[in-house]
Amino acid sequence: MSRIEFDGAGVDVLDGAGAPREILSGVSLTLTEQRIAVVGANGSGKSTLLRLLNGLVLPTRGAVRVDGLDTRTAGAKVRRIVGFGFTDPLSQLVMPTPREDVELSLRRVHRDRKERRRTAQALLANFGLERLADQSIYELSGGERQLLALVTLLAVEPRVLVLDEPSTLLDLRNRELLRRVLSGLAQQVVFSTHDLELALDAERVLVVDDGGIVFDGAPHEAVDRYRTLAGARDPGAP
Amino acid sequence: MRGHAFLVGTYHEGSSPVHRAPLWLKFLLVCLTGAAAFVLVDWVVSAALVFALLLLHLLAQLPASHLRRTAAALAPMALILGGWQWWQLGLPAAARIVLNIAACVLAAGLMTATTPVQQLLDGLVRASGPLRRFGADPERFGLTMALMLRSIPFVLGAFADSRAAARARGLERSPRARLLPVVIGTVAYARQTGEALAARGLGDADADADEEASAGEGAG
Ligand SMILES: Nc1ncnc2c1ncn2[C@@H]1O[C@H](COP(=O)(O)OP(=O)(O)OP(=O)(O)O)[C@@H](O)[C@H]1O
Ligand SMILES: [Mg+2]
Repeated sequence: MSRIEFDGAGVDVLDGAGAPREILSGVSLTLTEQRIAVVGANGSGKSTLLRLLNGLVLPTRGAVRVDGLDTRTAGAKVRRIVGFGFTDPLSQLVMPTPREDVELSLRRVHRDRKERRRTAQALLANFGLERLADQSIYELSGGERQLLALVTLLAVEPRVLVLDEPSTLLDLRNRELLRRVLSGLAQQVVFSTHDLELALDAERVLVVDDGGIVFDGAPHEAVDRYRTLAGARDPGAP
Repeated sequence: MRGHAFLVGTYHEGSSPVHRAPLWLKFLLVCLTGAAAFVLVDWVVSAALVFALLLLHLLAQLPASHLRRTAAALAPMALILGGWQWWQLGLPAAARIVLNIAACVLAAGLMTATTPVQQLLDGLVRASGPLRRFGADPERFGLTMALMLRSIPFVLGAFADSRAAARARGLERSPRARLLPVVIGTVAYARQTGEALAARGLGDADADADEEASAGEGAG
């Protein structure tokens, strides 16, 4: 597994008035487990934390390194190792049809066009998407798109997969498919989720609240902690 | 917004002579049409060019929806620009300018509708191969061009969308309500595309590019 290091990483953004606001406070962590989940309330900073991993967001303070490569100074190299899956699959897809989009991913690995075509076909078939290969991506259902986005990501053969709420749009069957796919992957996977069942599949779970890590450890404890937090927020709770 | 817009430039499968024509020929057609737009001074010739391109569309057996979408995307601009030129320069000049623009859009549309994007990319990458000697990165260039081609229908579609949205709110006379969403949408689209590529490690210059920057870090 890769070694992901957060070294006092913090992120500030400018608020409406132009004043800096901290949305992630100095995080220091080393992640080496194969399955790592991030849970937390809306707006707590999960996406920000994940985006730091492949340089989509750069830390304002501190540093983030993947296998010793700094996301700030070696961004291109980090992106070759770390693939990122967005919550909204349409943010991921750039070509008009599934086949073309997967072939786009394959350009980096396979120079030969026929080879690309074959590999794309096989990948799509693996996920039961071959039937939709030449349809417009806008005609796919949300779940089909989410699976496709995952396929286009796997096609670049990243060492680390970072997935921001990968199961949000999936129905029960496809969520099971996703869980199966994730557990079968040889890669290291870091994902955020509101799906606590999915979080329990991880080896290590981070609970994020208000821009900081408030718990880091075993899945069951983490989920309990997250539930307590959510309960404390709920004005109707005793 | 992206959804609707993207469909304008989609590839239509087929086995017509236009589909089978080599890419360089189609590309030449686009270039020549573009050049003609500067050279032609007689609206009759421009009309003949548009007519010829329409015949090619027929030959390619593209669905009627393809032409309809192109026309719908062109219409607002043709009306505004044509009206203005008519007033300024008279009818023949206005007709010539509008027809020349239509010819360019038709030629480009014909190429993208009859050529799969991947083939377009491969062609561009191959064509720019010799530039490698001067430090160019053909793969990256091809990607940039493909994304540019894809963004044209997006921007045209964004105009149509913002018009519909403005009308829905009774703001069709406000230029702000008509233009601002297009600008914001286009910037967001460009940003999103950049992120989508970064998410897959595509579109960066060769990874050795940051070799120097990370020299002191010791990967490992
Ligand atoms: N580029 C930005 N500019 C300003 N504020 C931002 C930016 N990115 C994130 N934020 C703010 O930072 C906070 C954390 O956002 P983030 O997207 O990381 O939350 P999240 O935990 O992923 O939430 P969700 O569960 O809703 O996806 C939010 O309050 C958000 O408004
Ligand atoms: Mg989020």
